[in-house]
Amino acid sequence: MSDLFELLVSAMASGCTYGLVALAYLMILRPTGIINFAVGEWAMMGAFAALVLSGLLELPSVLGILGAAFGLAVVGWLTERSVVRPLVVRGAGHLAPILVLLGMLVVFHQAMLLIFGGGDEPLSGPFGFGRIELGALAGSPQDFFIIVTTLLIFGAVWLFFERTVWGKSFEAVAINRRAAALMGINLRLVTALSFAGGAAIAGLAGVLDGPRASIEVKTALPFAIQGFSALVIGGVNRVEGALLGGIVLALAENLTQRYAPIPSGLSLGVTPLLLIIFLLVRPAGLLRAKAAG
Amino acid sequence: MTTARKSLIEVSGLTKHFGGLTAVDGLDFVLNEGEVLGLIGPNGAGKSTTFNLLTCGYPASTGSVRLDGEEMLGLPPHRIAARGIMRTFQHNMPFEGMSVADNVLVGAHTTMRSGLGQVLLGAVAARAEERKARIRADELIDFVGLGEFRDAEVTTLSFGQGRLLETARALAGEPRIMLFDEPAAGLTPSECDRLSEIIRGIAGRGISILLIEHDMRFLLPLADRVVVLNFGHKIADGAPDAIRSDPKVIDAYLGEAGGVGAASGGKDGVRNA
Amino acid sequence: MMAGMTGLVSQSWFRWVAATAFLCVFPFLLQPYELDLYRKLLFWVALAVSYNFLFGITGQMALSHFAFAGIGGYTVVILLTQVDLGLGLAILAALLLAAVLAFIVSFAATRLEGFYLALATLAFAQLLTVVLDEGGTLTGGTGGLTSYSLPAVFGAKIEGPWYALVMVAVFLATLAILVRIDGSWFGRACRAIRDNTEAAAAMGVDVARIKIIAFTLTSVMAAAAGMVYAFFDNTVNPPVFGLENAFLLLFMVIVGGSGSHAGAIIGAVLLKMTQDILEPIVGHYHALGFGVLVVAAILFQPKGLIGTWDNLRARMKRGKGAK
Repeated sequence: MSDLFELLVSAMASGCTYGLVALAYLMILRPTGIINFAVGEWAMMGAFAALVLSGLLELPSVLGILGAAFGLAVVGWLTERSVVRPLVVRGAGHLAPILVLLGMLVVFHQAMLLIFGGGDEPLSGPFGFGRIELGALAGSPQDFFIIVTTLLIFGAVWLFFERTVWGKSFEAVAINRRAAALMGINLRLVTALSFAGGAAIAGLAGVLDGPRASIEVKTALPFAIQGFSALVIGGVNRVEGALLGGIVLALAENLTQRYAPIPSGLSLGVTPLLLIIFLLVRPAGLLRAKAAG
Repeated sequence: MTTARKSLIEVSGLTKHFGGLTAVDGLDFVLNEGEVLGLIGPNGAGKSTTFNLLTCGYPASTGSVRLDGEEMLGLPPHRIAARGIMRTFQHNMPFEGMSVADNVLVGAHTTMRSGLGQVLLGAVAARAEERKARIRADELIDFVGLGEFRDAEVTTLSFGQGRLLETARALAGEPRIMLFDEPAAGLTPSECDRLSEIIRGIAGRGISILLIEHDMRFLLPLADRVVVLNFGHKIADGAPDAIRSDPKVIDAYLGEAGGVGAASGGKDGVRNA
Repeated sequence: MMAGMTGLVSQSWFRWVAATAFLCVFPFLLQPYELDLYRKLLFWVALAVSYNFLFGITGQMALSHFAFAGIGGYTVVILLTQVDLGLGLAILAALLLAAVLAFIVSFAATRLEGFYLALATLAFAQLLTVVLDEGGTLTGGTGGLTSYSLPAVFGAKIEGPWYALVMVAVFLATLAILVRIDGSWFGRACRAIRDNTEAAAAMGVDVARIKIIAFTLTSVMAAAAGMVYAFFDNTVNPPVFGLENAFLLLFMVIVGGSGSHAGAIIGAVLLKMTQDILEPIVGHYHALGFGVLVVAAILFQPKGLIGTWDNLRARMKRGKGAK
């Protein structure tokens, strides 16, 4: 039974990282309508940035995390500025930005391989190794750190969207770009912020997840797919949906792998299977959009 | 004394609620064969909702719309087209990746009878049909006056030319009924005159026309009969002259800034003097 | 006489005959290793042309094209070696399976808006990879299937340059079919769906039906190409039909010119040949160049290389007219 609880903690931690990637998609998708698959690459870039900062430069782990988040925010902002904005300005339609970001995905991926190679590297978290027990729940310190940090990040983002003027302007742009612009909302700034914020969150997902095993460049695409699946499952319309979707996905994966009487490799099929099921049966996800206030 | 015309479209009791708002309320009217019917009213009168109910397959709250006696409410757009009803879009919706000629040919989609297999085998019937369609499309392009733009990229057309393309494209479907969605919106006065002429020409070919329009100056000279909406209700139904002097109609439009015949502000503001 | 020559070249049938002749004769002039590259090039070109019809012409961003190639290849090999079906039957059955699966996928996907189709097909491709990896002896697992070969056809063993002709035939058939239907109401309906789905429906296009037909037809074409591929090296394994190649296919079509048959061919030839030349030198980093190329194409020449070519021709024509 304690087995199950350990599994649950671990799954929750995984779910949190998926949720963060889903949140990264959401940050960008909401105001711009653009689906940015490159967030998976950004997650791994965050992990490797932290590796460089805390490994190479020997900065304390926490600074590595913050540095990675900041660095990725810059990357996100630069990406938007250089390849996305020209398309939006030109009125290139909704498909072009998605495709250009796919191209950037490959660029980021290959650049990472060039710099860091294809092997795996260990990344240490701020709490080292060990085991923490909270009543029946037990897991590594990193797992608990992930859960707590994720809740904090989601809380902050939720507050941002619900309670700040900036956050509400994101919502306004999402509902009606033209009207938002006419109301004086600076579309360019909102878009730039959404990319920077999304990249930072993606980077954090990678940094947080890194110490759980090891980091390698090729984790990027699976991360991107899991993140998007989490978003679809949880509900594209709500911030909480991203986290819920991530947890549901991680639980499904882990429980299947552990308890289902099928070869363990097949549990890799859980993510795409769930994605397909939700797309067919409930594309709006588990959480409906809030009714218009 | 006019001979009684056969009614093509019968709208009865059409009602649409959007949450707390009733956009269309118990609307009754008919479109008779061979006539030009105007559906007019100030902004927010329910014209667009009515139009969308007729053409987009949206479900109504209650009521019915019958074509040739058969219910057509809720039919998906491509089935409506197949029944001989073609429409234009107020905001012009050209196929931007195709030439003017090909755009018009898409309009002819419902008239193409050859199956994919016949096309593949290069069957004589398929090729003949394609040839005839191209000839007809060229005729229509000339009819609306876009002859010199036949092979042009659609993106090079002005808004007014785009409107002409909309018209030619819809006509390519050999419709019995043409639905125009605020055709005068966004056009210069001379473009309006040209479009008026074209609509008269279409009516002259025996096609029944339903014109949703906000602008009375454009509509009244064209229509055989006018139905006036306000707040989702029909407030008048008759010949243009009667409508022009109907106190209820004048009242409805006076409630709007500018009065009768004035254009709305904002996007349709081109017609403001 | 020169005028007569240009008149001949502009005839469509002449170009088809000349191209066919060239494609058929060429393999006999190649060294074995060049032959291998040639066959694989044609494989990619065939896939690019059918994918272009689905993505560039009908506007359906699907990521399942390579998955269907894999379904074609694997199924024919499995039926041949494990079910002991004759070659002809195996081919037909594999095509049928691909058609049925494609129909199911596209039928389910018609309700999904544009980008969700990409997701659903991506999930489908992923699922297929998992099934292939875990298929045990049926699919050969992660190593794939290897110990098989093309059975004799009417007593003749088809190999070497003769087998390349099979790929030429599949490629030309794919191209011919798609060019033919493109020039008809069907092709226009597909482009209309791509450009403005709402207006297409209003003009009478049964959007769902056309999408399903386009998806099923092109996916079956991919399966056919996959079947020919299976006997190139007598090996089929999961990574070939996975997402990485799906992206590369997408890139080929974009760089060459999405929506144009010639563009798809050019894009495929350019990228595949670049890969063949660069990979021995810089390994898989050539992909970095492709990423950059795609980004540059979308930013600066959305009509792709074929667009650049068309602009050049237009400028030359204007130049001639001015004289």
